[in-house]
Amino acid sequence: MHKKIILTFLVIVAITENLFAAVGCTLNDPDRDIKRLFKKATNYKTEFIAIKDRGDENLVKEIEAKLKDKLEPTYESIDVPYAYYTVLSKKQTIGYVHGVNQKGTYGAMQLILATDANGVIIDFYYQKITSPQAKTFKDKKFTKQFIGLSLADFYTKDIKEIIKKPDKENNDYLATLRGTKKNLILHDEFYLKNKYDKYFYQNEKKGDKK
Amino acid sequence: MNTISIAYKNLKRKKIRSTLTIGGVAIAVAVLVSLIGFDKGYQKSLTGNIDKMGYQLLVTAKGCPYEAATMMLKGGGGLRYMEQDIYDKIQSDPRIDKITAQLVSTSYDPDRQDGQGGFVMYMGITKSYIELKPWSKFKSGKWFSSETSEEVIMGYEAAEVEQRLVGDKIFISKLNKVLTVVGIFERSGTQDDGIIFLPLKTTQKIFSLPDKLTGLGIKLKDIHQIGQFEEDLYDEPGIQIISMAQVRGTILNLISSAKVMANSVAVIAIFIAIIGVINTILMSIFERTREIGVMKAIGASATDIFKLIWTETILVCALGGVLGCIFALLASDFVEYIIKKILPYAPTGQLVIINKNLLLTALIGAIILGVISGIYPAWRASSMRPVEAIRTGE
Repeated sequence: MHKKIILTFLVIVAITENLFAAVGCTLNDPDRDIKRLFKKATNYKTEFIAIKDRGDENLVKEIEAKLKDKLEPTYESIDVPYAYYTVLSKKQTIGYVHGVNQKGTYGAMQLILATDANGVIIDFYYQKITSPQAKTFKDKKFTKQFIGLSLADFYTKDIKEIIKKPDKENNDYLATLRGTKKNLILHDEFYLKNKYDKYFYQNEKKGDKK
Repeated sequence: MNTISIAYKNLKRKKIRSTLTIGGVAIAVAVLVSLIGFDKGYQKSLTGNIDKMGYQLLVTAKGCPYEAATMMLKGGGGLRYMEQDIYDKIQSDPRIDKITAQLVSTSYDPDRQDGQGGFVMYMGITKSYIELKPWSKFKSGKWFSSETSEEVIMGYEAAEVEQRLVGDKIFISKLNKVLTVVGIFERSGTQDDGIIFLPLKTTQKIFSLPDKLTGLGIKLKDIHQIGQFEEDLYDEPGIQIISMAQVRGTILNLISSAKVMANSVAVIAIFIAIIGVINTILMSIFERTREIGVMKAIGASATDIFKLIWTETILVCALGGVLGCIFALLASDFVEYIIKKILPYAPTGQLVIINKNLLLTALIGAIILGVISGIYPAWRASSMRPVEAIRTGE
């Protein structure tokens, strides 16, 4: 009987242990993370928004045009929910925390942005990155380059000139830039009433004239 | 007017009280239906999960099972290994239909489990693993190119979480090793969904476990030979053997104490509901003593009064039963969510199964409840003397 129970225990674990959490880009510990990112935060509100909640295939096309890349049909489909934390100080919105999953070279990366109420980045970090160069990417030297940037910079400037890659590895660097831009585009679409669209269209016009 | 419509109108006269009583019955029925639904669902899911392992017997290394279980629970190392010789020795047994050797190893990932850190499970397998699980299908890609290739096949969820497609790379930080994804399995609803599979020989090589195995899955040609087969291997040094049927039985035994507790709660809920119903109907009779007296005085027989009060009780219970069934149906997803949160090792699949038969049984049960709990109030009302009742009720 003793043996049976023990082996049963092992098999239960083998049968049922779910070694992988559900897909999502929620914060690991919202209470802790938001307090760390926003010292003045007194409260926060969590919302899950998918592209399909705000539009249809036309919105997907619009996002792809702004991103200048296609959304991956399996992992970036229209019904993937994105987590948004609206950070409050008393009743005033002082910022947002939002993350996206971005396909990296060796696994999914979770890119988290803390932005102020106008969508300017005040902090950026990798909640998850699997890579031989993970340490270099997580290093403050690299991540602090994102601080102070907004979607306008991604639309109008050569972002690679502003955010220098941390080492020779190029794919995860490019993936990080793509994920961050996607994150900002979605945030602009869902929360900032497309206030950065003017920079996108300005830039498009410049491109057309050229 | 027939008895049912009079009974219904009587209940409507005290809406709040009737609603509360019906609500009480509904909650009791909903709890009972959910519990029975859970019992059915859990057994079915567990059986399904065990069947989907594909083998009837599991051979593992002997050792301190508590320690191994604890380590495995944490997803860490400490897994017991046995020599591959055992496989070579057992596989030639003519009673075996299919046999597969497995080597499980883990690698720590600090980002896993909401940043608390966790282990990724890697399982070294051979082609026979798939032969034991003919339902395993590729969503994309194919089998390993060779027995020693540095390739992986990912379970559905593992690939989804890591956003891997065929041709992508994965990185095992513990070993500083990069492997290529050659296949992704379709969702199976089993533990395989979360596992990263490698060729057995590759696993032995990269995890530095030459000629080691963690388990052997065995399917016999004739299931009636399981007992004898187990007995024959009993004296084999370094291994222990267990049948999946035993596993199923023991798991169900382990959860049976929890079930007894839950069933006790349901029985208490039903008991309280019965008392509530009797109390409500008795109150209603006492309030209507004069009315009952008048009814009798103008010709209503004791049987008519008995039927009326009895019908009221049955109506309360029947309505409560219907509502309870609706509650149970509506709340089944929520109940399942809670159970999965509470139970540390809930099997995959639907844990609460509420079908037509169960609902019908619950409804009939509620009506029987009404029949039983209505007898005393109905008898009490029918045995009132008209003159006394009119005088007392004034």
